Parts: sequence; structure tokens; C-alpha cells
Amino acid sequence: MVAHPGSARAAGAARRLNAPRPALVEGHADGGPRRVNRQDVVVVREEWRVVDRWWTEEPVARRYFDCVLETGENVVVYRDDESARWFAQRA
Amino acid sequence: MFARTCVPVICAVVIPAFELRAALRLRPGLHGVPAALAPRPGKEPLVGAVTPAAEQQGVRPGMRLGEALAMCPRLELVEQDPAGAQQAWDEILRRLEDSGFAVEPVELGTVYFDSGGVERLYGGLEPALKRALAAAGPLWEPRAGAAERRFAALAAATVARPGQALIVSNDRSRSFLAPLPLTLLPLERSRYEDLEELGVKTLGQLARLPEGSVAERLGPDGRHAWGLARGERDGGVAPRTPVQPLRETLEFPEAVANELTLRRAVAALLDRLLARPERAGRPPRKLALWARLVGGASWRRTVTLREPTADPARLRAALAAKLGELPAPALKLRLELVELAEQTGEQLELVAVEGKVLEERLREGLRQVRAAVGAGAVSMVVEVAPWSRIPEARALLVPRDD
Repeated sequence: MVAHPGSARAAGAARRLNAPRPALVEGHADGGPRRVNRQDVVVVREEWRVVDRWWTEEPVARRYFDCVLETGENVVVYRDDESARWFAQRA
Repeated sequence: MFARTCVPVICAVVIPAFELRAALRLRPGLHGVPAALAPRPGKEPLVGAVTPAAEQQGVRPGMRLGEALAMCPRLELVEQDPAGAQQAWDEILRRLEDSGFAVEPVELGTVYFDSGGVERLYGGLEPALKRALAAAGPLWEPRAGAAERRFAALAAATVARPGQALIVSNDRSRSFLAPLPLTLLPLERSRYEDLEELGVKTLGQLARLPEGSVAERLGPDGRHAWGLARGERDGGVAPRTPVQPLRETLEFPEAVANELTLRRAVAALLDRLLARPERAGRPPRKLALWARLVGGASWRRTVTLREPTADPARLRAALAAKLGELPAPALKLRLELVELAEQTGEQLELVAVEGKVLEERLREGLRQVRAAVGAGAVSMVVEVAPWSRIPEARALLVPRDD
């Protein structure tokens, strides 16, 4: 079950663990993140793509970036190719 | 008023409309005008205690706000100051205890004590009552009553004039109570109405009714009230253990609403309190968090711990939950250790529990979490596709309400 990120959840029902949270990301021209939640990205440690369920009506196409911010915080963000929006998530 | 017996008696000191008086300390100009204590936020819109000027206009405590304003359009609503009232009441109790009275407070503005001991200290019952009134403070206009029964003492204090001490001897108790109104009895409002419909308006009229009829018509509460109206024995005084609350206060240079700053302030207050030598190593059982808010109102919440602890991390967690309820930015924050446990150590188990005992403890813990937070508070992680490349598809949180 992969519901669309940000969809409402029913009270008392099972919930997804580690659900993506909307993130405020400013990107570079190459598509990589420049600032995450108003913090400069110092280094992108890793980058990978997840393309899955393309055979269903809810395909998953994400480009993940494991970033270190100027505060020293480690954060993983992805750009959802379907909705063209950014999310943060523990990968 | 009546002849004095030699038996130690029960004394009551009453300050009518205490919460209103406490709130009016911040707005002294309202003493002479029609004013009433505003309803508590989020509660039924009923006015609290009222000033004599409001009472003259027909406004009664417990009246619906709309009705009260229709009755008296000039009615001033006074914001409640629960923390201020509690603090003022604690100060009065401490002054009484400092004067040698072993007090049993029952609610804000009403306290009992036994005359045994203080009569000899002050040379008689009447001087002792006068001393108690002085200790309470003349500005509060306290009244005192003394009788061999709690209810009669309370009734005497209620009908006394400000600063007056009324002593009722046991043989005159019933005749003293007879003409007094039923509203002195600890009954629900609907019960008074039931009785008034039956033509019963005074304690004497109630006392004359047959016991069986009262019990049948009004139930156990009615039977209890009937006994009080007849001057039956209604228990002695159980004085509290005098407490010397430990408190620390922090005043902010400007109003603070940021929860992180407030949490840090609470942590600093907690560290100061835990370092106080008066604590003598005893862990807190009950704490109170108090704040003076922007606009002059006050806020107070108490935290009673399931197990007394002096662990700063656990205390901070318990207090932080209350900070979220702060309704407005705070100018001043105070933390108080209301009650300390007597023991300084903790009895640990010799053998670690396991098996069914451990499971039962876990279940009990979960039951308590559900009771405190509500259904859906306890969940279980169920792995559904741990191999998935999509992080949120690997596991689910499933509520456990069984």
C-alpha cells in the first residue's frame, strides 16, 4: 500500500511508518537540492533513484538525495516526479 | 451568642466568594459595582460569585451568563485568577498554622479546625476565634463559627457578619439551624428545587420530615442532608500536615510564548528546586506550574506523578506536557513542589521479573497509557514488506486497543 504522500489518514486505522513529509527545497539547475528547509546544503552524500510500480495506477518515481546541511544535520529528501514536489524521509 | 460548654468544639472560618475577592485584588475599583466572576473558558457559561451590588440587581451565583446580563446590563465580568486565589488561600492557611491552628481546608474560602489546644493557648474559645479571624486577615472579611458539629459550625460562620465569631452551644444547635435556608446543605441545585416544591424552605422544616420519606424521595444525599439539618454528628476535623511548599520563580524581561524557551525556563526552575536543601533528598510527588500571563490573568496546572521521582528528565517530560496548555504568552513562570514523598530511596526488585508477570506489567502499563491518552494511543509496528525500495511501504503502525 503506497498512498499518495500527504493524503489524509483515518483515525484508528493502520498508519504508514516513516511517511514522507513535505519539504521546502530550492533546487539547482541539475535538479539537485541547493537549500532544504531554508538551510544551505553543504554536501550531497549520495543520490539514487527509485522507480517502482510503474505497472500500476500509482507509479513511484523518486530521485533521492542524502544531504548534509550547514547546521550539520543529515537529511534525506526526494523529488516526486509524478507530483513534481519535494519530500523529506528517513531512507 | 450562646452559653459556652467546656467540650472542645469544631470551628469554621469562612470567606464568602473567595475566588471573586482574590480576582478583585487586581481590579479593586470593582468592589462597589455590580460584578461577577466570569465563566471558566471552555466551561458552561455560568457566572461565579457576585458582588453585593450585583446581588441587589438580582444576579445570583450559578446564573446563566445571558440571563445575568439581561438582569443587569452594567454587570462587569471579572476574569478568574485561579493561581492567584490558590496562592492567597495558601498564605491564609499558613498564617493560621503559624498561629497554632491545625487546619483542615475543604475548599477555597472554607477551613475547619478543632478548638482543643488553641483555647488554652489564647485563654478561651472566643479569643481563639478572634485570633483566627485576625490571622486570616481583616481585608478578606472572614467570619468564624464554632459548634460541636461541623455543619453547625459552618452554618454559624456563614451567617455571621464580617469579622464576627458566632458560637453555638450543642443544646441550642437545632433551634439555631431551624430558620436557616436549605442552601447551606451540600445538595445539588435540583434537590433544593424538589424540596421547595414540597414547601420545605428551611432546615427546621426539613428536620421535621420523617426520615423514611426523605430517604425515599431524595436518596442517600437527602438522608445525609436531613441528618445535618437535625444536628446529627458529622465527623471531626482531620487537620492537614503543615506544608512549606518549595517554589522557584523566573520573571521574563518580555512576554514569552515560544515553547522551547518556556521548556528551558522550566528546566532551570526544576534544577534550582531539586538543589534546595529543604528537600532533604525526598523525591517530588506533586508539582504545580504557575504563570502570570500577558493581560494580567494567571494560569496554574498541577502534575501528580504516578511514582515520586527526582529524575530531572522525567520531571521535565511531565511538565513539558502542561506547557502546551498555556493559553497566552507568559511574563512570569513559577514551579512549586507541592508534595514530597516521605521515602528517599526506591525499593528495587531482587530478582528481575519475566514471563507472565512481565507480560501482565506490560499490559497494565499499556492500559494506563490508553486511559491517559485515549484509544489509538498504543500501536504496534508490523513489517509488511521489509525488502521494499519504498521506505514507507516497509512497515505499518497498527493500533492495539485490545
